[in-house]
Amino acid sequence: MNATADNILTIDAIEVVYDNVIAALHDVSLVVPRGKIVALLGGNGAGKSTTLKSVSTMLGSERGKVTQGTITYDGTAVRDQTPSDMVGLGMVQVLEGRRCFGHLTVEENIIAGAFSRKLSKGDMHAELDRIYGYFKRLKDRRKSQAGYTSGGEQQMTAVARAMMAKPKMLLLDEPSMGLAPQLVAEIFNIVQELNQQEGVSILLAEQNTNVALRNADYGYIIESGHAVMEGNARDLLEDDKIKEFYLGISKEGRKNFRDVLRKESETHADLHHH
Amino acid sequence: MPIWGWPMTEILFFFEVVLAGLLAGTMYSLVALGFVLIYKASATFNFAQGAMVFFAVLSFVGFMELGLPFVLAFLVTILLMIAVGYATERLVIEPLTGQSEDTMLMATIGLAFVLQGLAQAVWGVEVRRLDLGIPDFPIPWLADNLGIFVSALDVTAGVVAGVLIIVLSLLFRFTKMGLGLRAVADDPGAAASIGIPLKNIMLLVWSTAGIVALVTGMMWGARAGVQFALVDLALKALPVLIIGGFSSIPGAIVGGLIIGVVEKTLEVYVGPYFGGGIEGWAPYVLAILFLLWRPEGLFGEKIIRRV
Ligand SMILES: Nc1ncnc2c1ncn2[C@@H]1O[C@H](COP(=O)(O)OP(=O)(O)O)[C@@H](O)[C@H]1O
Ligand SMILES: [Mg+2]
Repeated sequence: MNATADNILTIDAIEVVYDNVIAALHDVSLVVPRGKIVALLGGNGAGKSTTLKSVSTMLGSERGKVTQGTITYDGTAVRDQTPSDMVGLGMVQVLEGRRCFGHLTVEENIIAGAFSRKLSKGDMHAELDRIYGYFKRLKDRRKSQAGYTSGGEQQMTAVARAMMAKPKMLLLDEPSMGLAPQLVAEIFNIVQELNQQEGVSILLAEQNTNVALRNADYGYIIESGHAVMEGNARDLLEDDKIKEFYLGISKEGRKNFRDVLRKESETHADLHHH
Repeated sequence: MPIWGWPMTEILFFFEVVLAGLLAGTMYSLVALGFVLIYKASATFNFAQGAMVFFAVLSFVGFMELGLPFVLAFLVTILLMIAVGYATERLVIEPLTGQSEDTMLMATIGLAFVLQGLAQAVWGVEVRRLDLGIPDFPIPWLADNLGIFVSALDVTAGVVAGVLIIVLSLLFRFTKMGLGLRAVADDPGAAASIGIPLKNIMLLVWSTAGIVALVTGMMWGARAGVQFALVDLALKALPVLIIGGFSSIPGAIVGGLIIGVVEKTLEVYVGPYFGGGIEGWAPYVLAILFLLWRPEGLFGEKIIRRV
């Protein structure tokens, strides 16, 4: 990507280790241009969540550590900040698996998202209205205990809750997980709206390559903690190797994506292979 | 005027027993509430809760003996308990965050010994009297007009505990910090991800548990003397928690009342056949029966959904 562009997030060659021994990321670099949606793709265990948690500093509570490389968010070096500090700087992560507060109502969940802000009662109402404008479905469910709402509603609640912090940047971890296609579409429509109308930059981790690329501007593919490929979302979507690997078109069955890459001798014009 | 063959005096007496049980039960509810708060916020069974009760009230009496007036001694002890909460959070809980529940339990057992030892080292080991100026005699008006004999001290303790429980419940429900606490109790990771500062919430929880410990210690100390046995008394919270559920505030309240009433009625009606002392072990038998019937407790919040 254009190195001179205004990037809200720059991850430069990070290595991440859990419990001082288990290396989860070896060499991951990516940038998120301000106002764009960037997809981070890869199978289970590839290191998507670890990458997001490195940025939000949620790694600390899981005894994970960035041991090499640098992360720069909005001009600030991300080092020993707490997740609260990062929220204060306008960066919020929506964790994998939605993670609503099950015993709180949907509205209490959303209000909790504004914990880092000092809002008067009136401001709080205005903010809630603004958020319900995007998540219309949640308005009807606002008095329900979040734990008893559907998976789609919980995912929306989690995103709505994060938006209440008024973030400049959202980290979304597998928002499509376990949801029916039309719900996935509904959620991604909202994500698009938030991106366009609120100007929030988004780093989106997904296994659902197809949906993610159709909603993103740019994509990175990681595997076993290595960034293996990147490109414009549209180009990646049409790339044969990705079709073969992620859309299961290969006759030889699922295999290591790096093997797919290795088999390829020529390099696609728009795509960089690491 | 007998009812179902029961003479009126018997009925009044039964009523009196139940009332005494409820009043004693509010105290159990209060101790159990201290446990539940910490359990909810940090998934730790705080074995040191009993030691905190002892430490708090012994310090309170100690400050009074140093000549501080009642209110000042009370306020100073509250500050002390907040300091203890802060130190516990900083030195014990925070460094162990993410460790197993067993590790946390061991840490609180250690904390219990430290607090007991510290209290006795500073204030001495002899039993102290705590006079709140409330007699442990039946309230004359109730005795004369209704024929119900309940101690003024019991009533005071019950009312104080009840008011404290109600105030805390309202704070949890309607304040920002209360919302933060409930969020942390549901999912600490998710709470951290939206910028709820876990440290502040933990501090709040440990301080509240400290204040609850002080009030409990004062009420029990006024009855039985300020002594080491308060530590064991606080362990009565265990059957309360088994019955009410470890993570439920309403459970702690109702569980405490149930234990109080069962204990008192058994003591009065069944105790004589066992030669007394039944109230010491009956709550545990009840708790075991509950474990068999409903392991998650009466109000035990089943984990609704956690990934
Ligand atoms: N808390 C943890 N402790 C130790 N290893 C972990 C932890 N979380 C993830 N890992 C390991 O790091 C690697 C990447 O995991 P993750 O980032 O969760 O992948 P993804 O989100 O792409 O499925 C995996 O091998 C996983 O087992
Ligand atoms: Mg993941």
